[in-house]
Amino acid sequence: MTPSWARTLVRRAMPYAALAAILAVQAVAKADPVVAFPLYLTVVLLVSLREERAAAFAVAAVAAVAVVIPPLADADAAADVASALLLAGVMLAVALSVGELMRHARAAATSAQRRVDEMAASDRRLRAAFESAEVGLGLADLDGRLLQVNHRFASLLARDHDAMVGSSVVDLAFENDRSAVREGLALIRNGDVTRWESDVEQVRTDGEPLPVSLHFARLPNTVTGEPSLLVQATDITVRRQADAIRDCIAAVRQVIVNSSGAEVAMPPLLAALCEHLGWSAAQHWALDSERRSMRVRHGWNAAGPLLNGFLHAGRNATVVEGSGLVGRAWRAGTVTAEVDLSAAADYQLQNAARLAGVRSALAFPIVDGGEVAGVVELVSATSRTPTDDQVTMLATAGVEIGQFMRRADVAQALRRSEADHRAIFERSPIGIAHVGGGGELIEANPALLHMLEQDDAAMRTTAWPDLLRAYDQAAARLHKAPFLAGITDGGSIQVRAGTGTGNWLWLQLTATSIPDASGAPEHVLVMVEDVTAVRETSDRLNEALDAQREANSNLAKLDTTKSEFLSIVSHEFRTALTGIQGFSELIRDGGLESDEVRAYGGYIFNDADRVNRLIGDMLDLDRMESGRMSMRTTQVDINDVLMEAISRAAPGAISVEFKSDLDPRLPIVTGDRDRLIQVVSNVVNNAVKYSPEGGTVTLASRAEGRFALVSVSDTGIGIPPDEIGHVFERFRRVRTGAAQSIPGTGLGLTIVKQIIEMHGGKIWVESAVGHGSSFHFTIPLSPESADSLQVQHA
Amino acid sequence: MPESNGAAAQGFTVLVADDNEVAQRLCRRVLEKAGYSVLIAADGLQAVEIALNQHPAMILMDVAMPGIDGLEAMRRIKTQVPAMPIVIASAHSMASDRERFLAAGADNVLSKPFRLADLISIVQSLAAAKA
Repeated sequence: MTPSWARTLVRRAMPYAALAAILAVQAVAKADPVVAFPLYLTVVLLVSLREERAAAFAVAAVAAVAVVIPPLADADAAADVASALLLAGVMLAVALSVGELMRHARAAATSAQRRVDEMAASDRRLRAAFESAEVGLGLADLDGRLLQVNHRFASLLARDHDAMVGSSVVDLAFENDRSAVREGLALIRNGDVTRWESDVEQVRTDGEPLPVSLHFARLPNTVTGEPSLLVQATDITVRRQADAIRDCIAAVRQVIVNSSGAEVAMPPLLAALCEHLGWSAAQHWALDSERRSMRVRHGWNAAGPLLNGFLHAGRNATVVEGSGLVGRAWRAGTVTAEVDLSAAADYQLQNAARLAGVRSALAFPIVDGGEVAGVVELVSATSRTPTDDQVTMLATAGVEIGQFMRRADVAQALRRSEADHRAIFERSPIGIAHVGGGGELIEANPALLHMLEQDDAAMRTTAWPDLLRAYDQAAARLHKAPFLAGITDGGSIQVRAGTGTGNWLWLQLTATSIPDASGAPEHVLVMVEDVTAVRETSDRLNEALDAQREANSNLAKLDTTKSEFLSIVSHEFRTALTGIQGFSELIRDGGLESDEVRAYGGYIFNDADRVNRLIGDMLDLDRMESGRMSMRTTQVDINDVLMEAISRAAPGAISVEFKSDLDPRLPIVTGDRDRLIQVVSNVVNNAVKYSPEGGTVTLASRAEGRFALVSVSDTGIGIPPDEIGHVFERFRRVRTGAAQSIPGTGLGLTIVKQIIEMHGGKIWVESAVGHGSSFHFTIPLSPESADSLQVQHA
Repeated sequence: MPESNGAAAQGFTVLVADDNEVAQRLCRRVLEKAGYSVLIAADGLQAVEIALNQHPAMILMDVAMPGIDGLEAMRRIKTQVPAMPIVIASAHSMASDRERFLAAGADNVLSKPFRLADLISIVQSLAAAKA
């Protein structure tokens, strides 16, 4: 093969050889230059058409020289030189023109070629882009028939690429979405819109729905005049998942925000998880109180009756930490999944899952403060592999639910505590007043209102301020701080308080200040207890104790009195017996005169009689004091009694003068006539005994209110002031002066006092030494007598 | 009962202080029969007066008397005449009474009622001591 440079050299040299040949022939033939000129011109034209301008011009210049040479060589042909020059000039002009023409032609050709090349490259790029696009692309006619699809489109739907060509985009959509796609096509076809977009589910050949964003764009008319449709299908599975996760989190939070407690929140939480994440059912496994195992507390069926059996089986199951899906999620504290349950040998509910067609399950822990408090299990009837985003989301949800449950527990405990306190406040038998910082009553519980017999308004306006005043007064007495000055000791104060119906109570007030968050006293709780019964009991107890003490001291006194009495009685008896024994001994020993014997016999008789009376009086007194003395009560005329007593006393009292000042209208009394005579006789005998000769004893009677008043006055020796308080006591005879010689048992006035008191009357004595004594006693009138007396006086 | 004690009783005066007339008579009758002279006082003050003024050889003193009682009378007499023999003759005749009277300064105690021989022997023993 000849090298190109050689061929170029040949090609370049060829015109010059031709020109030389023509010149040689012309010279030989001595031909006219005009004859040779067309030949030269032909060479120049050929070169100009084929070669570049410079080469062509060089050939033209050589040809022009060749045209001029023969005339110059022939001296005689000088005239021909001019025409030869003209020819040479033509030659050069032609060469230039053709060269320029050729240059333009060549430039045009080059430009056209470049354009073709560029178009081809563009087409290649478009085709590559079409094929390599991450979205499914297709070209269709306006009826939606696909004319061309990229492989991505085919793989998206797991379909055969060639089979897709010729099918309709409508048929690719899930049945529910087909009408929407048809509408989109119609809108494009009618020219209403040039673009249309919608999210639809498309059908994969494996039957799985694929969420796709379907986009139609009408393409401008092509050369063929057929309008075309660009079909774009974008897989939005990931976006859908992200949306689902976002929606799920929102739903979970919605439930948490709107729920009052874990028990009510859990079912909607499970429902939200199933709905938004596409799980068939959910179960909430809760820790038992010992934290040893977990049991299902809530279940949610989002799929249908087939899963009821599975959920029912869950109700009876128990898991322990580390065992099975739930146990592993519990131990690990992380989201744990089982894509194929049939291969998970340790799954607790494997049998139930198989029967119910549950294929995948996922468990995530409910975490509270780093501790697993429960596990939520999600199951699916289809095989599912959770995405990372889902796992992250569920882990987050587990923490949020755990925190919520803690908050709900706390809130519920607070509510329960609040309810407890409310119940205590409402039902407490103790009155409770809720008092503000200014001492004002905020609320009084029913017990307090009931205790004070007030309604709420009266309690606020009057009863409570009264109680507060009583508190402060009582506190002041006890040197304690007043109510508003601060309740610090929690001590109690008892106050007297009136109720709405005018009863008076003893109330015990115990105040407790309740601090606000900063610790400053915010309000005060005052417990109000009705301690009236306690106080009264304690008062009665004190009275009883006093009485007991007095009784004890009385007993001691009685004991002393008894000893004294025995001593006195024995003294009286021994005194009387001294005479009896002594004189009877004298008589027994004999040697006495008969008048001596008679006199001594008289002494003996008198003392024996006195001993007898003493015994009689003592027995009488004992009967009276022990209440064994019976009275024979009749209607008694006191004046009659007085006259009888005078008549009995008269024989031994001739030395005194009796006077009487009796009220004839004195009503009848009820009493024991003999006893009353005994009384008057005793007093009269006393009067006579202590009166000097020629003295006067005056008996008087009159009505005094509902009593008959009797007075026995004498002009005797009187009773010394230190003795007058004791005259009614036993053996208290006045011994001074002349009284010493007066015999008596010393029990007479004591008996008199007893008889008067048995009749319901009183006896007392007035006396002045040397002027005499007055004994007064009263006896109640008979009721009818008293009434008639009242009528008379009216 | 001895009717007479001869020289021992002769000139020996006994003051009987008792508010009870029967007791006075009994004591006078018995002691005079025995040869003693008898003075009578009817209450404590009288007893003190007679004891200090008439200088009896001894006193037979009752306790329960009006005015000042026998013990007070004895105290007053013993203050003036410590050697005066005083026999308390009382119907307070419990054991504690006897101790009480001796502690108060009595030379002897005669419980009422008494045997006449006891009265005589008490007076006699004092008269013998004096003589």
